[in-house]
Amino acid sequence: MNTRVLRQLLGKLGGLLLTLFLASVLIFSAMLLTPGDPVFTIAGSVRPTPEMIAAIQEQYHLDQPVWVQYLSWIGGVFSGDLGTSFVYKTPVAELIAPRIGITALLVLYTLVLIVVFGLGSGILAATRGRAVDRTVLVTTSFGMALPTFVVAILLIWIFGRVLGWFPVYGAGSGLLDNLYHLTLPAISLAVLYIAYISRITRGAIVGQQHAEHVETALVRGIPRSRIFRRHVFLNASPQILSVSGATVAGLFAVSAIAEQAFGIGGLGSLLTEAAARKDVPVVQVISLLLVTVFVVLNAVVDVVIAVIDPDSTKPRSLA
Amino acid sequence: MSVAQLAGGRVPRLARRASARDPLVIAAALVMLLIAVIAVFGPLMAPYDPNQLYVGPVLSPPSLEHYMGTDDLGRDIYSRVLVGAAPSVIAPVFVVILSTALGAAIGISSAWFGGVVDGISSRVIEVIFAIPGLVLAVLAVSMFGKGLIAPIAALSIAYIPIVSRLVRTAARAELGKPYIAALRIQGVSSLAICFRHLVPAVLPPILAQSTVGFGYAMLDLAAISFLGLGAQPPSSDWGVMISAGQPALLTGAPEQSMFPAALVVVTVLAVNILGARVTTWAEGGDR
Amino acid sequence: MSDFVLELDHVSIAAPGADGPLMLVEDCTLQVTAGESLGLVGESGSGKTLSARAVAGLLPEEFTVGGTIRIDGEDISTVAGKRLRGIRARRLGMVFQTPRAHLNPLRSIGDFMTEALVTVAGEKPDAAERRAIELLAEVGIPDPDRRMRQRPGDLSGGLLQRVMIAATLAMDPPILLADEITTALDVTTQEEVMAVIADLRRHRDLAMLFITHDLALAGAVCDRIAVMQHGRTVETLRAATMRQDAVEPYTRRLLSATLPADVRADSTPPVEPVLVVDGLRKTFQVRSPRGGREEFVAVDGVGFMLAPGGSLGIVGESGSGKSTTARIICGLEAADAGSVTVKGEDWTTAARGTAGRRRRARIAQMVFQDPYQSLDRRQTVRACLREAVAVHRPKASRGELDARVDELLGAVRLDAGLADRKPRSLSGGQRQRVAIARALAADPEILVLDEAVSALDVTTQVEILTLLDSIRRTMGVALLMISHDLTVVRRLCDHVVVMRSGVIVEQGTIADVLDDPRADYTRMLLDSIPHDGWVPRRRIPARTTALPTVATTTTRISPPGGPK
Repeated sequence: MNTRVLRQLLGKLGGLLLTLFLASVLIFSAMLLTPGDPVFTIAGSVRPTPEMIAAIQEQYHLDQPVWVQYLSWIGGVFSGDLGTSFVYKTPVAELIAPRIGITALLVLYTLVLIVVFGLGSGILAATRGRAVDRTVLVTTSFGMALPTFVVAILLIWIFGRVLGWFPVYGAGSGLLDNLYHLTLPAISLAVLYIAYISRITRGAIVGQQHAEHVETALVRGIPRSRIFRRHVFLNASPQILSVSGATVAGLFAVSAIAEQAFGIGGLGSLLTEAAARKDVPVVQVISLLLVTVFVVLNAVVDVVIAVIDPDSTKPRSLA
Repeated sequence: MSVAQLAGGRVPRLARRASARDPLVIAAALVMLLIAVIAVFGPLMAPYDPNQLYVGPVLSPPSLEHYMGTDDLGRDIYSRVLVGAAPSVIAPVFVVILSTALGAAIGISSAWFGGVVDGISSRVIEVIFAIPGLVLAVLAVSMFGKGLIAPIAALSIAYIPIVSRLVRTAARAELGKPYIAALRIQGVSSLAICFRHLVPAVLPPILAQSTVGFGYAMLDLAAISFLGLGAQPPSSDWGVMISAGQPALLTGAPEQSMFPAALVVVTVLAVNILGARVTTWAEGGDR
Repeated sequence: MSDFVLELDHVSIAAPGADGPLMLVEDCTLQVTAGESLGLVGESGSGKTLSARAVAGLLPEEFTVGGTIRIDGEDISTVAGKRLRGIRARRLGMVFQTPRAHLNPLRSIGDFMTEALVTVAGEKPDAAERRAIELLAEVGIPDPDRRMRQRPGDLSGGLLQRVMIAATLAMDPPILLADEITTALDVTTQEEVMAVIADLRRHRDLAMLFITHDLALAGAVCDRIAVMQHGRTVETLRAATMRQDAVEPYTRRLLSATLPADVRADSTPPVEPVLVVDGLRKTFQVRSPRGGREEFVAVDGVGFMLAPGGSLGIVGESGSGKSTTARIICGLEAADAGSVTVKGEDWTTAARGTAGRRRRARIAQMVFQDPYQSLDRRQTVRACLREAVAVHRPKASRGELDARVDELLGAVRLDAGLADRKPRSLSGGQRQRVAIARALAADPEILVLDEAVSALDVTTQVEILTLLDSIRRTMGVALLMISHDLTVVRRLCDHVVVMRSGVIVEQGTIADVLDDPRADYTRMLLDSIPHDGWVPRRRIPARTTALPTVATTTTRISPPGGPK
């Protein structure tokens, strides 16, 4: 990789950090924009006395100027102090830690399904002729109308009531048991994304199949399989990657729905609960976490694309 | 090379795979019309009061008295589904209208003014884009409480980046064409160039995106209601119904969840088919 | 076994249409003997490219090919898929018009060159690499081993074309299919490439099917010429005697278009110039290949004058700065230094606000290169012209506007019946006429033509140039013609300015500059134009890296209230 590309990437990285910073400010300001005084949420059902109010304000830094609050919040994030839950009165970090693992596993499982079936069916649709293409088209059309919660209840009904091949509740214990329990949730999350990625993949590949540089390779007699690998698929991959990266990054947030439906104690269900009870610190930290994951994932995708196609970082025209 | 390129400069009418009279598209349009009718007239069409408890036995299967059966509180599912169409369908419309209006305005201004305006709005858009829609909605709910208002506002903001990026790209492409330069040299006013030429040019992709966006908004809002953060009981918003019917699934009474779910799927399917058609139409422009 | 290396026998090509098959090629018949070069000449829509693609097997599946195609005497319709691919790979070399699009931007040149050698000819990778370097040297690419590691984006168009030619030689094919291979190149680069081809043909006894719209070029580099029109081969001639032998009226029309026009005498008396450009300078901030910014000087110290009712041509190749100069004059770009004076008024800075632009519109107008994108594709011709007229006659009634529109249509010799059509149903020449009519709507004194005929067929070019000339004589409009094509300028202008890399190399009357050029560059330009008896001379490539993209047509729209 030459210096130009490195400079471009560093520039992009800087931009991403700025975005992250601004997003954190936005998330933080949620606390400030909430109508009503958080003191009362914290106090809960008890009518707070002036001493209680003072104590709460001190504990939660509510008496400090805004930017100090932000700095202590952000500083806390870096040092591991993620604030205290309004509702549970326990450090947010303690609430989150046990749940991260299970959500990460769920997302990873879903990702594998998406890549295998989404990418796979897209490639098949683009390369195996009209009949296969039509079949995939029809299937993905349905798939794109099947959101997580619909697939979830379908699966719960089929496997909870009729077939019983997979558990429909909870996350189980131990890795293999986890995977067993997470199968249905992962499927419910994956269906929509499989359909979407399949379409994107097919479109990108078909687009390259008609490219002029592919024509050149054809005329020169290069074997079809090699043309597909080195010219069609390679050139389609930046496009597939960038779209996939963005979609998958949002997966972490959507996992909340599967967790709710299947009763899984992950980050998502905590997020939902906290939002329902207006537990702003918890919501803020989880939101920040999800946004960071999103931004980091996109950055990784950008780097990979730059490796494949260094010229993509070159601006196409100027002035 | 595309077939059109090979056939010469002027594009002859080559065989069209999907004509405007495609039966699938017509079916989809009819479905959408039906859904819209139900959304508006649902309450009038419902045979029972959707909130009336125990009009029939609890969790009974579909029958002649109750077309879709009854739910866990003995309410008529058919009536609830009809009345639930309004929140399920109209809320997404708000999201689409707000996000499209704002997104288009930002996109066009970015392309038109360029420079600092473009720089700042691009940065803002990037920040909004970095926060997944669901997260923004959840954040909004944690601030303003449950119900549909907060999620609608949040999703409207969350969808802006998609629209504005699309519009910005389309507007920049159009502004780069020589006829815009020609109009300027002719002395046509900037306002006229913008509204008489630029806006009609970017309208097709905006419409295509709105159609597709409606489907996404519907799914997102139903998901939020499913989570219990959107529409609240006793509303018969479809997302709420699906969530409420979940316990009944395991006892062999899927109707409460399945019927609203089926309606969600059918509506989104129809929207997607229409959206694909509108997108092809929108892209058919140049050349 | 015939000794035809390639034969097309009543070949027809049909595409599936909405109302039955569309005949794109009706009857293409030609033969190429070993070692011979056959030029296939025609304008757009003649079917020449399609016929070549049929030979190479590059037509979409839906197209049906009739007639017989024989490679080395063998009817390819009788040959099975795999063997046919092998035949095409080893017996045909194909080079296309836009090398940049035909090379995989993500792979290196070396990858491209060795790919066929390794996968088709079964050579070992290092042997293939050595052979690739040899081939690159054979086509005159300087520093071939360095090039092997570079990507297409790092090389200029002329160099890329040489790479493509080198790649086709890897299999030692007996025939080269060259589809408009120099059309996208500067005329000097064209000469370089054609010289390389001439050498190759000599050394390898290579036959060639040379497809081009440029009859003069074909006449100079080919042994025989086949002319196609509307999907039919109209006539086949020996190149050396084509002017005398041509019988068909279409061929004769093409031939007359290639004749250099009579040089115009300067008939205008010396008078106060309507446009004076002095010391113009413009630099752009460009991303340098190493990252960071560098300055690209597009225009440096340019100065010339245009007399009222006169015609001045600005000639230059890509990167010469001619387009940027024109855009500065019309207010689409701002100059960094120097002045532009129009009718005594200072036009160096762009007009302020709509009123200012309107005033200037009545003095100078512009016609652009791309006929399709110069018109709003959603507007009918009438609506477009009406808008242009209404800008300057805000109080006119519809009837008055329409009357003026009809007047304009007449001025550009466009049938009034076309007025209610949209650009997509018009030909390139017709669209350009509309663009000219629109420019005339403001009754300007200067008409700037930025490569206005470059995208048109040769016969249409002649028509439009004749039209412009008559407009100049009847309306007294001064013409400023920007072109890379000296023959076009020769036809239309009585003065000429030659630009290179942002500087004026020579200027004067057409007669002076073309018949007795003083600058070496002008001489080189003139020598590069194919004419009867022209032999391309080999030179070291003038430019090896791609030009930074500078002159785009992005217009910085001024918001109401003035420019930024």
